[in-house]
Amino acid sequence: MDAEPTLPAVISAEPVVVAPSGRYTENALLGWILVVGLTLVGYLLLALGSPVGAPGWPRHLFLAIGLAGVVCYGLWVFPYFRDLEKRLPEGRDRWSKLEGELISAFEQLGAGDLVRSIDHTQGLPERLAQISEAASESLSQLAQQIQDSSIEVASAADAVNEIASELASGSSQQAASVVEITAAMEELARTASQIAENAGRQAELAARAEASGEAGSAAVFEAVSGVEEVQKRISAIASRADALGTRSKEIYRVLDLITEIAQETHILSLNAAIEAAAAGADGRRFSVVAEEVRHLAQRSQESVESVRNLLDEFSSSIRATIVATEEGSKEASRVLERSRAAAAAIEELRGASGDTSRVARQISLATQQQNAASDEVVMTLREVSLVVQRMTGGLKNLSSTADRLNQLGLEIQLLAQSFHLNSPRSLKHLVEDWARRIEPLPTLPEKERQLDELVHNAPFVELGYLMALDGGTLALSFNQNLLDERQQSLAAKVRETDVRSRPWFKAVSRHWRTTLIPPYESMQNSEACFTVCTPLRNGDGSIAAVLGIDINVTGWTRI
Amino acid sequence: MEQKAERKTRREGTHLLVRAGEYSCALPLAAVRRVVRALTVHPLPGAAGELEGLAEFGGEPLPVLNLARLVNASPGANPSYPVTVVVWVGPVEGREMIGFTADAALEVVHVPPESIVAASDGGFLQGEAPVGGEVVRILNLDALGR
Repeated sequence: MDAEPTLPAVISAEPVVVAPSGRYTENALLGWILVVGLTLVGYLLLALGSPVGAPGWPRHLFLAIGLAGVVCYGLWVFPYFRDLEKRLPEGRDRWSKLEGELISAFEQLGAGDLVRSIDHTQGLPERLAQISEAASESLSQLAQQIQDSSIEVASAADAVNEIASELASGSSQQAASVVEITAAMEELARTASQIAENAGRQAELAARAEASGEAGSAAVFEAVSGVEEVQKRISAIASRADALGTRSKEIYRVLDLITEIAQETHILSLNAAIEAAAAGADGRRFSVVAEEVRHLAQRSQESVESVRNLLDEFSSSIRATIVATEEGSKEASRVLERSRAAAAAIEELRGASGDTSRVARQISLATQQQNAASDEVVMTLREVSLVVQRMTGGLKNLSSTADRLNQLGLEIQLLAQSFHLNSPRSLKHLVEDWARRIEPLPTLPEKERQLDELVHNAPFVELGYLMALDGGTLALSFNQNLLDERQQSLAAKVRETDVRSRPWFKAVSRHWRTTLIPPYESMQNSEACFTVCTPLRNGDGSIAAVLGIDINVTGWTRI
Repeated sequence: MEQKAERKTRREGTHLLVRAGEYSCALPLAAVRRVVRALTVHPLPGAAGELEGLAEFGGEPLPVLNLARLVNASPGANPSYPVTVVVWVGPVEGREMIGFTADAALEVVHVPPESIVAASDGGFLQGEAPVGGEVVRILNLDALGR
């Protein structure tokens, strides 16, 4: 965690050994002497080895050629070497410069800084510079693609992980639901059995009710017949009572007549008494007769009253009988109507009982079939439950695989971010850009305000800080969109610590180069984050401080 | 002579008992001319309250008085057999017949004069006497003729 991943070293740092100055001239002189010596030695050997009488022109020719070579060497080769000797320091300096540029370029390339590596190829020969620049550009594009692809891989893996988690959660819920459905179906099967039993019993009861309905229907029909007979008899009684009432009225009329006659007789007896009284002594006997007649009329009237009273009672009885027979007739009609309605209801009930019996048998049969179907559904649901459980396990594996893929994507992103690219998505480029903005500011408060502004405008940066070389904190800026107050207070504790022991500080202070720390768990919010840091320099190029920013991985991959 | 006097006393004590409202009234039988069923009475315009009107009796007009009003009886229920009692009023030489409407003519009774408790005013109501366990008002038709 504390070491920056580096690319393998390509260029050795060993210096190139250059021949000392004047050496080429000395070697040229030795070569000329060697040519002269060899010419003379060849001539002597030819002269001494030639037989007597042999022609001497080959020796002379050899000598002439040798001398011509010595002259030519002296005229052209030696001056050339002398001239070369004169130009050698300039070429050596140029070569050393090119070598240094090339070494720096490859060093930057080895450090992953593709921007500075291109800067260092500006002094190389055009062709070499073009090749180096093209190689750096290709590498930069490759790293850029790797960065982008790794982010996409991480994002996709994160999305897959999220979807797999949701699917796993859904599958778990589905499994639970299947279990519940299975239990419900088992309960349904049990209920169906009970329904089948109840339907069977209901069918029996309905059959009994149907039989009872038939008996009741017959009884009600008999009752209706009886009530109709009673109604007929009541009607006959009413007719007779009505006839008696009519006769009673006739008797009343006779009684009225008798009463009137008795009254007349009474008056007549009184008048007779009056006449008898007027007749004096002669009318005494007549007055007796008149008195007797009056008594007779009075008795007649009393008898009539008795008969009238009896007739009143009789009439009352007849009226009561008529009223009773009328009420009885009405009641009989009502009873008859109700009996007929009851007969119809019983008949309907009997039909309904028959229907109920048939329906209950059908229900019993259907519920038995339902029971069998429910058993099959339960078995199927159990199989589904197993499948869902396996699917849940598979989804969990998929989730863990996606999680691992996400980690791999982040690791690839880290590896890709180890390159410094001329791209806004390069974290090293980002932090160096921030450093370039902060470095020129003369005072610490200005630097701190600039850091606040930069952090505020970067939604993926949790924390930005300026650290002195002695490990103290110069400036600290929070992203309030990512960290709440509690997390900010946790982050503020960095002021109380010496950061020189922290891996990122060690890494950046090792070569004083921009450094990226692999993902780790943030102390503030327990989320994965990168730390990228770069040295801040004074105007004279000396290291003044270290600028570090903590990148929230989720926020970074989101952009 | 004694028998004649007794007969005269007895004849004078004989009364016709009639019902007028809640009262039973006794009319001297010697003054009673006839008891008939209630005659049809034709009211006279402007007549006094006791005079119900004129009826026809024996071909002659007969003034008919309401006996219940004369004795200040409250009107009773509708009588079942109302009657008109035709009586003589006034002196013998110039007597006249008038009729009394009554609810019923009951009987001929004898009211001993000594049993009559005379009324204070001594007018149409002569007095009261017990007859058959009931107090009967004795009427003086001569006072009516005056």
